Amino acid sequence: MLRIRCPYCQEARSEEEFSHAGEAHIPRPANPDASSDAQWGEYLHLRRNPRGPHREMWVHTAGCRRYFNVLRDTVNYEILATYAMGERPADEPEEGAL
Amino acid sequence: MSDGVGVACRESRVGAFLNLRGDAADPGFRNVAASVTGVELPVEPCTWRRHAGHAAAYWLGPDEWLLAMQNGVGVDLESRLRDVLDPRCSVVDVSGAHVQVELSGEDAGKVLQKSSPYDFDPRNFGVGRCVQTVFAKATALVAAREADAFDIVFRRSYADYLLRWLEDAAAEYNASDGRSP
Repeated sequence: MLRIRCPYCQEARSEEEFSHAGEAHIPRPANPDASSDAQWGEYLHLRRNPRGPHREMWVHTAGCRRYFNVLRDTVNYEILATYAMGERPADEPEEGAL
Repeated sequence: MSDGVGVACRESRVGAFLNLRGDAADPGFRNVAASVTGVELPVEPCTWRRHAGHAAAYWLGPDEWLLAMQNGVGVDLESRLRDVLDPRCSVVDVSGAHVQVELSGEDAGKVLQKSSPYDFDPRNFGVGRCVQTVFAKATALVAAREADAFDIVFRRSYADYLLRWLEDAAAEYNASDGRSP
């Protein structure tokens, strides 16, 4: 069972309260009408599956119901950082850096 | 507490529940909301403020609060708030969706600890705190009113299940349902 710190409630809570919401920091193509099918398909469907630190979104379903970002190691499930939407700390390890 | 009763559970009479959303960083919004409702909005995460009687404001999120108003106060409060608040704010009367019960007694904290993964130890969950968490496979908002008295707000559709759960969880502590003398 993971203990996840919600950046909004500012408290570590049980994993039971949260839901996983997929990879974080996926930019939407600035001009969807001008993007090719390949670009749009990549945006919609293709996800990285790194071994090691991975930036992903979680939602505090049973708590404040806010989405936030988690940097989690996919090998040992260690939570390296959690941070609010719109933030991206630069001093954290890179994704998949193993 | 009467002699020999470790836990008592009774439904609280709340006039209206309102869900309020707006910018917590805007003092104008908080002042307007406080002047209309009489309850100050807590900005500190996972805390609540009580005004006279049962009127209270619970922190639900960085821009979201639950207001519990006294009997008779909340009837036209939604429209009164809507008249004065910025149109980007949201006010929704959610009275029909919620039930509030008060769980009190020296063993009330133990009943909470049995029901949830959250740490309801008094060192972590003191008076003035409120959390939304998993509660007996459902979800609930739990607020510490006094050291041994808690307000629990949950959805009306879960009321039958959760009251039965509380009854069962409290049975070993010599529980009272609040009706018997």
